[in-house]
Amino acid sequence: MDLNYSDEQILLKESADRFLKDRYDFEKRARILTSDDGCDAAIWAEMAELGWLALPFSEENGGLGGGAVEVSLIMEAIGRSLVVEPYLVSVILAGGLVERLGTPEQKTDILGGLIAGTSRPTLAHREKQTGFDLGNISASAVRTSEGYRLSGEKPLVPGGAAADVFLVSAKLGESLRLFLVPADAAGLTRKTDRLVDGSRASDLVLDNVSVPASALLDGGDTLSEIEAAYDRANAALASEAVGIMDALMDATIAYTKERVQFGKPLAAFQALQHRMAEMAVKCQEARASALLATLSVDAPRSLRIRGVSGARAKIGKVSRSVAQEAIQLHGAMGFSEEMPIGAWFRRLYAIENTFGTTADHLKRYGEIIRDPAVLSGSLLREPV
Amino acid sequence: MDLLMTQDEVRFRDEVRAFLDAHLDEDLKRAERLNPSFLAEPAIGLQWQAKLSEKGWVAPSWPKQYGGTGWTLAERYIFDQECERAGEPHFRGASIKMIAPVLMRYGTEEQKNFYLPRILNGEDLWAQGYSEPGSGSDLASLKTKAMLDGDHYVVNGSKIWSTLAHHATRMFALVRTDDTGKKQEGITFILIDLKSPGVTIRPIRSICGTHEFNQVFFDDVRVPVSDRIGEEGEGWDIAKYLLEFERGGAFAGGVLRAMLTRLYRLASEPLPDGRRMIDDPLFVARFSEVATDVDANDMLELAAMSKVQAGGNPGSVPSSTMKIERSRIRQSIAELAASILGPDALRWEERRPLHELPEESEISEERKVASAVYFNSRSQSIFGGSNEIQLEIIAKTLLR
Repeated sequence: MDLNYSDEQILLKESADRFLKDRYDFEKRARILTSDDGCDAAIWAEMAELGWLALPFSEENGGLGGGAVEVSLIMEAIGRSLVVEPYLVSVILAGGLVERLGTPEQKTDILGGLIAGTSRPTLAHREKQTGFDLGNISASAVRTSEGYRLSGEKPLVPGGAAADVFLVSAKLGESLRLFLVPADAAGLTRKTDRLVDGSRASDLVLDNVSVPASALLDGGDTLSEIEAAYDRANAALASEAVGIMDALMDATIAYTKERVQFGKPLAAFQALQHRMAEMAVKCQEARASALLATLSVDAPRSLRIRGVSGARAKIGKVSRSVAQEAIQLHGAMGFSEEMPIGAWFRRLYAIENTFGTTADHLKRYGEIIRDPAVLSGSLLREPV
Repeated sequence: MDLLMTQDEVRFRDEVRAFLDAHLDEDLKRAERLNPSFLAEPAIGLQWQAKLSEKGWVAPSWPKQYGGTGWTLAERYIFDQECERAGEPHFRGASIKMIAPVLMRYGTEEQKNFYLPRILNGEDLWAQGYSEPGSGSDLASLKTKAMLDGDHYVVNGSKIWSTLAHHATRMFALVRTDDTGKKQEGITFILIDLKSPGVTIRPIRSICGTHEFNQVFFDDVRVPVSDRIGEEGEGWDIAKYLLEFERGGAFAGGVLRAMLTRLYRLASEPLPDGRRMIDDPLFVARFSEVATDVDANDMLELAAMSKVQAGGNPGSVPSSTMKIERSRIRQSIAELAASILGPDALRWEERRPLHELPEESEISEERKVASAVYFNSRSQSIFGGSNEIQLEIIAKTLLR
């Protein structure tokens, strides 16, 4: 057991923080938000140069072979700087699925473009009735002489505006499959909306979209790979939330030290000091919880759910409290869209409602924790 | 970075498990289950201590040279987890965890050679003499006086909240030897033989119905100068060193998880009206939330341990966070267990210790002790530096 970051990991974190501090300030982000697809091409190209887009992929697939810990460090930095580009959905979610289910040609094609910064794939899986039953999909695929014909609706596809290719799930007979569908495919309509956190999502309608046989991702158990991919994404979201919580904490401390009322800084009032200390307690807990999620993504399923959904449930609750307190302690200033406080608050709110709500994750965790081995077992694991 | 044990640690865990299976008897486990307090009845604790003593496992945190195990931090963690899972009586209190590290750090060779073996073999049980009726969180304002008279100090005053002082043979105490300068500078750390003339012990019955705390009065009690630890006026530094052990030096994850597991068992049994709480969505939601808290606390402990293993320090914010969270989690579990008793919550058993009552089914006994456990749990956020003091420590670190 060792929970200390390696020197390389610390360097990665410092370089990520530095890059976003230099290149992604709050004004820059505001300009990106006014663009059509909510994605800055130059920033995306720099992420490619820094190796972020190659980070989680194996070296044989052109990646850097980074693990969940490396991803968590990038996600913390993304949270602090409120990056709206679709890093999580393109790299972690869609890229991860292509790496696990794709043919060698699909990997070369999709991952090659993703790593080079020229392609932004995204996953179009969940439907309005799906909820937490990831197999509950209505979109359908039928075989044709050239390949497949897909029909169905995929609402709120994250990263949809900037995507050039979608991984669309559909029922082929009784079994769930993923298909690569180019954004400009005939029969595909995409309606893009700006979300509560400023990011973009698209409502997709597929009306008899024809794709070739080579569009099928068929290298494994699709449904369990989708579940595992969402767990990796949820662990990453937990780390993003931790980055945001730390940023809220830092901003609140800085503001209350500076703001003078009744002749002294707000930070000198004990009633406020204890509230900030309680925020710090929650930040510490959230960090610990996100680390468990990060170190659980490759564990057996029950432990993976325990780590990931446990973290989403716990962090959902404590991050909401920290964000509410940050607004309160900023007084009226925290209520203004001109300051990042409100943007962090809204991003945390979005995270609480992305890839399962806080309550959904608590329920999923609650089911797994009933297993006596999970409930009473130590977090330490036996070596494989 | 990983959560993996080494092969040696797995072997160690299995050895501990096998020992506990063979030696931790049902009657000791039952006594602990029926104990609402955070420390076992001394009679029960000593029985278990004697069994561990044969194996050399009484003091996991002590270095080998003093009769400890010399275990790594990871081994101590695993040992604690296994003992808690098995339900051992909690006997490691002020003697093993508080005065022993102080003796090792500040004691003379004579003091170490005399006192440490007596702790290991159970001859001495120590009580803490820190708080006074007028000095709680503001400990440095303490007034119990020790006046030098030849080769003795003459002690007058009173200490309060001394756990198990009525069973203890000795007390380590902070006393005032000087009140001219800064209040912290006039404090001295001494060891008091509780059988000395002039010592009176008044029991304080807790709201959980158990006699664990005491007020101790000193009326011209003579203490040899050779029983002073460190120099005169060094007491405050020693006290701070000791409190570090009380706060961050122990693991609580094992006991919290054991309590959570017991709560789940309790909630799985049908209530008198036939319902089971684990079928109740409101209960399951509350239970699950506490379980995520336990997981997070475990990770905080493991992260702090990793820092220490790498030669670092957990830091004051994580340490105080753990103290606060442990107390809250323990209180939440106890409160949740008590909340499912229904009308039986109104029944109250006066008799102590509860394990001397005729044996009933495990679940009936769990239900019998649940209210008292809940009442007792309120002390968790008060002792060892109250949660408000922990918030002060965090605020000072963040805002200075």
